[in-house]
Amino acid sequence: MRIEILFPEFCNLFGDMYNMRYLKMCVPEAELIETALDEVPAFVNEDINLIYLGPMTEKTQEKVIKRLMPYKERIEELIEKNVFFLFTGNAVEVLGKYIENEDGSKIEGVGIFDVYAKRNMMHRHNSYLVGMYGNIEIVGFKSQFTMMYGDNSSSYFLQVEKGIGINEESKLEGIKKNNFIGTYLLGPILIENPLFTEKVLQAIGAKTDIALKEDTLAAYEARLNELKKLRK
Amino acid sequence: MKKGFRFYIALWGAKAVTVLLKLLRRNASFFPGKFATVVCPGFIGKIDKPKTIVAVTGTNGKTTVCNMIEDILKDNNYTFIDNRYGSNIDAGVATALISGVNMKGKAKKDLAIFEVDERSSPKIYPYMTPTYLVCTNLFRDSLMRNAHTEFISEILTKNIPKETTLILNGDDLIASNIAPENKRIYFGIDRLDTDGDKCENIARDIIVCPKCNSKLVYDYVRYNHIGKAHCPNCDFKSPNIDYLVTNLDLENMKITLRNGDLQEKYDLISDNIINIYNIVTVITVLKQLGLSSEQINESLKKQKIVDTRYSEETVNGKKIITHLAKGMNPIACSRVFDYVRKYKGKKAVILLLDDLHEAEKGSENTAWQYDTDYEFLNDDSITQIIIAGARYLDGLVRLEIAGVSKEKIVYQRDEITAVDKLKLDDVETVFILHDLYAIKLKEAVKTKVELMLKN
Repeated sequence: MRIEILFPEFCNLFGDMYNMRYLKMCVPEAELIETALDEVPAFVNEDINLIYLGPMTEKTQEKVIKRLMPYKERIEELIEKNVFFLFTGNAVEVLGKYIENEDGSKIEGVGIFDVYAKRNMMHRHNSYLVGMYGNIEIVGFKSQFTMMYGDNSSSYFLQVEKGIGINEESKLEGIKKNNFIGTYLLGPILIENPLFTEKVLQAIGAKTDIALKEDTLAAYEARLNELKKLRK
Repeated sequence: MKKGFRFYIALWGAKAVTVLLKLLRRNASFFPGKFATVVCPGFIGKIDKPKTIVAVTGTNGKTTVCNMIEDILKDNNYTFIDNRYGSNIDAGVATALISGVNMKGKAKKDLAIFEVDERSSPKIYPYMTPTYLVCTNLFRDSLMRNAHTEFISEILTKNIPKETTLILNGDDLIASNIAPENKRIYFGIDRLDTDGDKCENIARDIIVCPKCNSKLVYDYVRYNHIGKAHCPNCDFKSPNIDYLVTNLDLENMKITLRNGDLQEKYDLISDNIINIYNIVTVITVLKQLGLSSEQINESLKKQKIVDTRYSEETVNGKKIITHLAKGMNPIACSRVFDYVRKYKGKKAVILLLDDLHEAEKGSENTAWQYDTDYEFLNDDSITQIIIAGARYLDGLVRLEIAGVSKEKIVYQRDEITAVDKLKLDDVETVFILHDLYAIKLKEAVKTKVELMLKN
């Protein structure tokens, strides 16, 4: 079992790195490969079971796009081969067509998905979310300067019940294509969503159960109940 | 800047509102300024200001630093205006400025000390040029409000007036690089025995060189990105420090501060590194304002960290220490956790870290807990951890992921009854770590612990 964490020296905001530490607790035999921004990603030449990219600053997005651009075809190939990708927070934006600044200037993305993001740096959107992933209820939080636009109606991650989708008018959250999942949810989403983490473990072929199952499930149930009581 | 009719309507209206609020015994430290800035946009730019303005900003320590500066100035018979009892955003600053002018809008005082929220910079600095702007540090803060340090440092750099002299933490590679064109003075603490070669914290916001992206080489790390570093491939490095603590004598609670050829000794009022940084910041500012080391030190000795932030008492031979640990602020909490683990003797820890405002709104985003070094609480000297409040189950999971044995943890929703499970036999100290908005709760819990110790 090999898990690659892309650019952890940069893409480590908001506690998201603990998603991978938690996976390691669930699958102790897993090898975590940490790839720095100045290194060639392991997925380029090797078989990897899960590729992770966490949230990053706006300047870092440009560096990451530049780094991943030469491997666009390889990423597309791995998505077609059902390799599991998890991109959290604004990481998913780097694979879109472009990111637009407030002044209208655009930063070209890797261009794998037919979506784009628009920044509004003086307005940070914060919200909670309850959404359906198949028959699993997902809980989580968003905190971002951007909204995403484009048609994800046939490639969304979550059907939103409470909260917003890729933008304030959307009820379809994130991008899902085969086993690629890109979501604006941030923070320790695998710890907060043990039922989803079970699905992730199954998808990457792990034969182990989730760690701290009883306590993560209790925390998940408590949060789900709280969020369901809220109006929006 | 021309004042105009709207300015006077705003000023007189705000002064009238202040009188009215005081008659009603309401807090008049926010609304008058809010009123004035709404009635007269650009009001802060138009109102007459003291000749010398000190603005204090930064992620952690700005309130403590401002309070200490103000107390020492008062003790030395200085008069000034401040926003101590008001908000640290534009309305709070405007309210303080209004209090400092007469009905004609003329300044009555020559000095102002303002605490300024980093995110309020665009609403304040274009209209007010601080003589000195102090930045205590820049760390990860509330992710919902402040996003990340790159965002905050860019806001500061973009809005700080060119004429302002910066007083910066030279041990902080992020804070020390804001507004690079401005004149600057650095304070810092020389290498300590406790500094290491590797960072043991989760959050590190500057690992690579901001100029050339090479991995920075840390000469030593104190905590998070505090320390001394240089880039192996370009000229980026920690700055030379103007006010440098060359000797930290915790046994006698004294520091030696070097400024140029001068070596001066000052008394410490706290052995906590975050407060030592606060004290060094305060001394640097006061020296810049022209106070002598004797004036500063005589008043410094009388200072005390306010009870809402730190208190200790002994009951029947056991200590109760309360310590502010700002929830949603990973570095503030990590510093406190580090202090607790290194505190002598066996201890029990009560965690009241939920943000009560967020709890009222529904469900707090606890992502910050995973930027916080809960691993520091996994220490043999900590015999019991009580975690209570709305997010007690999240706290339990976080502690378990940090490696704390579940047998050591008491976890339940109700904070007061959770204290019943406190095991006092084996401990010398009980720490109560609490959020900024949990002062009343902290007092209730502390009272209960006192009763248990008395009985």
